[in-house]
Amino acid sequence: MSDKHEVTKDPITGAETTGHVWDDNLQEFNNPLPRWWLWAFYGTIIFTIVYWVIYPSWPTGLAKDGFIPGTSTLTFKSDKIEDGKKTIAAGPEVTTHWNTRALLAVQMQTDPNELKRQTMVKKVAATPFETVAKDPQQSAFVLAYGKGIFGDYCAACHQAGGQGVIGHYPNIIDDAWLWGSESADIETTIRKGRKGNMPAHKASLTATEITEVSNYALSLSGEPVDTALAEKGKGVFNTKGCSGCHMPTGVGMKALGSANLTDKIWTQANVPGAKDMAAKVTAVEYVVENGIQREMPAFESRLSNDEVKVLVAYIKLLSAE
Amino acid sequence: MSQSAAVDGAGISSSIASSVEKTYLEQYNYDIVKKFALMAIFWGIAGMSAGTYIASELAWPFLNFDIAQITFGRLRPLHTSGVIFGFGGNALFATSYYIVQRTCQTPLWGGKLADFTFWGWNIAITIAGIGYLFGITQGREYAEPEWYVDLMITVVWVVYFVIYTMTLLKRNQPHIYVANWFFMSFILAVALLHIFNNLAVPVSFFGVKSYSLFSGAQDAMTQWWYGHNAVGFFLTAAFLGMMYYFVPKQAGRPVYSYRLSIIHFWALSFMYMWVGTHHLHWTAIPDWTSTLAATFSIMLLMPSWGGMINGIMTLSGAWDKLRSDPVMMFLITSLSFYGMSTFEGPMMSLKSVNALSHYTDWTVGHVHSGALGWVAMVTFGSFYHMIPKIWNTTIYSLKLVYIHFFLTTIGILLYITALWVSGIGQGLMLRAFDEYGNLAYSFIETVVFMHGPLVARAIAGMFIVTGMFFMTYNIWMTIAKRNTVTDEATSAAKA
Amino acid sequence: MMKHESIETNAALLIVLTLAAISIGGLVEIVPLFYIEGTVEDVKNEDGKDAVRPYTPLEQLGRDVYTREGCYTCHSQMIRPFRDEALRYGHYSLAAESQYDHPFQWGSKRTGPDLARVGGKYSSAWHTKHLMAPRSVVPESIMPNYPWLMDKLDITNVQGKMKALKAVGVPYSLSKIEFDANVEKFGEDVAKKLDINAAEVNIEAQSKLGNFDGDPDNLTEMDALVAYLQILGTMIDFSKHDEAEFVKFR
Repeated sequence: MSDKHEVTKDPITGAETTGHVWDDNLQEFNNPLPRWWLWAFYGTIIFTIVYWVIYPSWPTGLAKDGFIPGTSTLTFKSDKIEDGKKTIAAGPEVTTHWNTRALLAVQMQTDPNELKRQTMVKKVAATPFETVAKDPQQSAFVLAYGKGIFGDYCAACHQAGGQGVIGHYPNIIDDAWLWGSESADIETTIRKGRKGNMPAHKASLTATEITEVSNYALSLSGEPVDTALAEKGKGVFNTKGCSGCHMPTGVGMKALGSANLTDKIWTQANVPGAKDMAAKVTAVEYVVENGIQREMPAFESRLSNDEVKVLVAYIKLLSAE
Repeated sequence: MSQSAAVDGAGISSSIASSVEKTYLEQYNYDIVKKFALMAIFWGIAGMSAGTYIASELAWPFLNFDIAQITFGRLRPLHTSGVIFGFGGNALFATSYYIVQRTCQTPLWGGKLADFTFWGWNIAITIAGIGYLFGITQGREYAEPEWYVDLMITVVWVVYFVIYTMTLLKRNQPHIYVANWFFMSFILAVALLHIFNNLAVPVSFFGVKSYSLFSGAQDAMTQWWYGHNAVGFFLTAAFLGMMYYFVPKQAGRPVYSYRLSIIHFWALSFMYMWVGTHHLHWTAIPDWTSTLAATFSIMLLMPSWGGMINGIMTLSGAWDKLRSDPVMMFLITSLSFYGMSTFEGPMMSLKSVNALSHYTDWTVGHVHSGALGWVAMVTFGSFYHMIPKIWNTTIYSLKLVYIHFFLTTIGILLYITALWVSGIGQGLMLRAFDEYGNLAYSFIETVVFMHGPLVARAIAGMFIVTGMFFMTYNIWMTIAKRNTVTDEATSAAKA
Repeated sequence: MMKHESIETNAALLIVLTLAAISIGGLVEIVPLFYIEGTVEDVKNEDGKDAVRPYTPLEQLGRDVYTREGCYTCHSQMIRPFRDEALRYGHYSLAAESQYDHPFQWGSKRTGPDLARVGGKYSSAWHTKHLMAPRSVVPESIMPNYPWLMDKLDITNVQGKMKALKAVGVPYSLSKIEFDANVEKFGEDVAKKLDINAAEVNIEAQSKLGNFDGDPDNLTEMDALVAYLQILGTMIDFSKHDEAEFVKFR
């Protein structure tokens, strides 16, 4: 009843109502705020005020940088930039108010776990691979390092085990390297990236020539091809430009990343997966017709030179397994 | 107090008042409440089914079927808009129109204008939803509708505000009931948030595409100020309004504490608007905003719990109803989930916890403990109370309400647990280092890890959707029963 | 508590006070971000030009595809200043890097990895293959296939889009004066790419040169999307900046 403003006492709990009634029977008790609730509320307010004093909090045009920076500070070494080259943590110490970015800088310079990583990276980078492979601690580090970095950076193309995808991304756990198998070559490949380009030949060669040269290419690694066709193909290979990149002997050239055709390793044409000779020829023909465009991205902006060296050690351990 | 009653001209005797009330009862606009309530159930099924489907896509990606319109990225906004604005929005329109009439003891102001809000709101969501499937989106979470839908929503919302305010103004009660404070706060805040977060420049007047007015850090700040208060006002304040009416009504007991209502209403309204930046901890947003968000989130804990205490303690003196009344079980369980998620929320807004939880399924689980545990359950409880009333009948089957209750509860518990495992697990894996300080896991390993929990989560969704079908059937039969009764009465009269 | 009586018996007062209560938080947190210096860091290249530039028209169209497909529902573009994220993704994201992002796409969920520095991490051919069929390169992936990205890219309204972006503050140029200002700010090479009048020509040139989708004859949505992905997080050369430079303003 809307007009009834009589305070009533509840027979069950003994609490008093406010006397307001809505919609027939909606009423409110006038119970006090629960004590624990009130104290907990005060508690959160005290927590908040302390927090505000310690950390950056209120914006104000008057304070330094436009906000109250708080009392907490962090100190870390700045980087040295000289002649356009950056040396990490080699500059003077900087002390700032607490903030999330300074916190990372401090952590990268003081966290024991992180320092261990940095030390190990330096150590492995300065040690020849053969020694790393024999040293159980160093090789354990390399395997652990590689697992995460390889998984996030490399496995997208070369797959988790490094076996690659035929037709797209080379296997990097075999011994064949398009751009050189020395540690220095592999390091350059990772740091600077590579761009491979084999021109398409469907316009410059006839279909017959393509079949012939494909047979020849297969013969170079000892596939039992039609020798007559292969013989003709040899002529095509030597006169129509193939030998320019793949060399007259077919061993390839690491400066160009042109494949060695004399080993049994195939990165583009899926010869190992072909069910018979005809399928092998077709697979090679497809590559000759359409050419190859491949690109390995450069990682020098993501990985330091030392880290690249560790990664190379990882790849070598992976292929040794 | 009697003075204020006199000011409103309500100083009439109780006998007159009761006859007056009867008259009003007949004049209440229940038609609009019915429309919105049924639409809420429709959107509930649509939105929750979409949710279960996209959850299944994460568990079994072949379900994307290479069809652009049903890929995860396009269906996900359909799920969120469907459940928040479709299910939640329609439920809020229904209950707020019901509550404001009954607690003001006056029919809804504006006559046919209420129908305009019904058609406007539902057409807007439908246009937006179909648009998502075709890639029409602003790319802002929970604010995906493009500019023309935003304009429609703005118009509908202003009309809603006017209807609500005018109804309050012509009330036959001196006092505005606490539920209406919360609804008003919700209407005002959503207007403010919606307008400022959707400021954008359309590419052309006849095109669908627009670009947001703000960019980068400022845009992020505005978006999460909006995004979190979609939770704060749409999914909390407004549903508290719902709670403040239906819990005491169903319990037949007075609200526990009027004083607590006042304190927690104002504290909640004031503080919620500060906390959005906790979605941006550790990002490129300046740390001072993070600090304010984290601290206000902590201070918000007790004001949030004020609602839970007021709801649950309202049952003191009628605890037995928790055993005997499934509607009450829905309402009280919803308050328990509300208390749980409003505790979890401030914890997750602490920077150190957030560093782990952010970007993971933990957040998704948290949202659902609020959205399903609190929002959906309080709506179900309220609907089981309200729908028989507006159709002037009784519920078809209490047993089906029990079944719905248990399916929903099991579903939610499974859902939250699965995503705790998935989220905390992924968070821990991504930050795990081995003894040498190397990353212990690559990203894809976390994806492999999440498969199990994601399957469990999809199954949890199926429980909840199944529950929705039980509810739909029960309500269908409730309304049908009422029609039969009326038909019989009519034929009896004819005879 | 009796004072509250006057609010709850007066709808107008209730509305006004509620409005006041809900307005303050946003005002205090949002408005200062527009005027506090350093909220968006000023990052320069060695030649004194702005390091971060607006997207070229092709990249921006790619960004529109990114938004359209809802990539943000599974991928973030915001690396946080944590050790693990530094090792996994690279340098933490600066506010400067998304200053031309309308809307921002920082995201809120990492069902897939962060993309803030995905630019240059994988080859364009890989991106194309991965977007067409993610499981062909990452067997454990749960990402959908996006074969329709090989559809023709719609560039009919690119100038309109750039004009709309210009209206919200992205420094694309229409007039000679604006072009010269861009030369001053970004250098001539970049300024040419930001010229609205040359949008179509620039798209053609960039897609031909980049051949992002491996199909040089057709301009596809894949070209645009991959062009966008390949620029993400690459504009600032962090090997030329002292960390302390970015710390100051947080």
